[in-house]
Amino acid sequence: MQASADKVTAPSAPAKPTSRWSRPWGYTLTSWLGLVPFLLFCLLFEVLPVVVIIQNSLVDSQSGALTLNNYQRVISQTGNLHAFQNSILLSLVTALSGGIFGFLAAYGVYNLRANWMRNFLVSFSSIAANFAGVPLAFAFISTLGVTGFVTVLLHTWLHVDLYNLGFNLYNFWGLALTYTYFQIPLMILVTLPALSGLRPVWREAAANLGASQWTYWRRVALPILFPSIIAAMMLLFANSFGAFATAYALAQGNINLVTILISFAVNGNVSIDPGLGNALSGGMIIVLLLAVSLYSIMLRRISTWQGR
Amino acid sequence: MQTTQAVAIAQRQTRARFGIDKVFLILVLIYLTVPLISTLVFGFTGSHGIDFSTLGQIFSDKDFAQTLSLSLELALASTLLSVALITPTIYWVQLRLPGVRPLLDILSLIPFAAPAIVMAFGLVEVYSGSNMLINVLSLGLVPLLSNPPFNIVNTPPLLVCAYVVIALPFVYRSIDASLRSINTRVLTEASYSLGCGWWRTFLTVILPNIWPGIISAALLTFSTVMGEFTLSSLFSIYTFPIYLNQTGQEDPHKAASLSILSFILTLICVLAIFLLVRRRPGQQGEIELTAAK
Repeated sequence: MQASADKVTAPSAPAKPTSRWSRPWGYTLTSWLGLVPFLLFCLLFEVLPVVVIIQNSLVDSQSGALTLNNYQRVISQTGNLHAFQNSILLSLVTALSGGIFGFLAAYGVYNLRANWMRNFLVSFSSIAANFAGVPLAFAFISTLGVTGFVTVLLHTWLHVDLYNLGFNLYNFWGLALTYTYFQIPLMILVTLPALSGLRPVWREAAANLGASQWTYWRRVALPILFPSIIAAMMLLFANSFGAFATAYALAQGNINLVTILISFAVNGNVSIDPGLGNALSGGMIIVLLLAVSLYSIMLRRISTWQGR
Repeated sequence: MQTTQAVAIAQRQTRARFGIDKVFLILVLIYLTVPLISTLVFGFTGSHGIDFSTLGQIFSDKDFAQTLSLSLELALASTLLSVALITPTIYWVQLRLPGVRPLLDILSLIPFAAPAIVMAFGLVEVYSGSNMLINVLSLGLVPLLSNPPFNIVNTPPLLVCAYVVIALPFVYRSIDASLRSINTRVLTEASYSLGCGWWRTFLTVILPNIWPGIISAALLTFSTVMGEFTLSSLFSIYTFPIYLNQTGQEDPHKAASLSILSFILTLICVLAIFLLVRRRPGQQGEIELTAAK
């Protein structure tokens, strides 16, 4: 803990000796008092729910004894295991597609000269990124559903029947296409600040030294942006892994995903009891912890690049 | 020789400005607008051309106005609470307790590891059962909040708090990034040497400089809450997305027009916030200054 704290504050260390008042303020009691509201809030509404889930997932719901039985049931029942496979694959696919398209689009936004246009696109992205859930599912049903506008349009104008060609909005790939809708704008929103951190001076310096556009990207810009991009993709992964409403409204529980199984547990569906629900949630937390660890490692590398 | 090379490079770069990134931007914009346009057309065309009768049915439904105003209130409350709670905290930590940063980072990452559905499950378990471990860990606050007179189980206040937690990663990331992109320490020092106190420094020096970060944080929170389905459905609170789902499952044309309506309403709210912010005097220069860093 101490070591990591030193590491994070390290970039700002050279500035410290010059500022006269940084030392006397120190870590006094009043400094800590400023943190109390936020910490208390996080404890009550963020940390405790997670603690309860982990505790309950390790306890037998009838007898109250410590057990790993709940997790064992997640692994041994193929339906549950399959749900995890589906959720992970879906998240990987949409994080990649959203990440690549989103980054390139974000670079397009970053290059726009007109300020109003950039502002417009940022607010449009922030709406689209959260145009998830039920409205998004309905929008895609209206667009690419069996009687959707685009489906019908393609059929009447080009005589192409999407559903005969094997496309189906209500299966895995349909869901992936739908998820990408909120992944791309999220990627744009998240990478824009990183792109604004690219200083024009660097490009000019590279050009002065004879670097081509491609060399500048390969040797300067991408290495600096790399941690931001990976971090953003991990964020997309987590975002899609935890998504529930879109899948629920689109496929009505026909796609086997972990979030859908957990909702069955909360709503008291007979096939899944609270103990299994807690273990499924615990399993989600474990998978997401991996993504989040990678995310925070990458964030740390960003802070060594852009830290002052 | 040197000059011609520089000119050539400059030309290449100008040309690259209309290159592949613009193509992708246009493709992405098409992908993002086609479903909206299709939904618009699908929602407002009946068997005899353009048909706005579904809109009339929706507007005369009293559940519509009720759930919509509830969602707007929740969104506004969550936005205000998250910005007011998180911004001063991050500034305070950067200035006085830089060693606490890792703790803040971890707290802001927890909502990634425990998404809305897990959080909802956990919150229901925390505030509706009595669990000795939780009672002790919460310093006695959970029993206080889950029993009368402050019973917050499945009420809008608990929903607002849950929304603030769900939005925490985005709000934290965005505000933290903009605080780090300005030189907080030097600005504060300058302000102190001119005789400003902590609050005055925060409100008149730091806030205007990080305004873009706060705007995007607020926008993200607001639009998250307007479309949030998971938590309110598990808390059985009748918000707009729940109404949307119920109505839409019965009638696909109503579903389409409701989706468009929810999109337009969020758009209007977001643009309103945006314009309100932009009207502040001297704002333009500061946004550009921060962006140029």
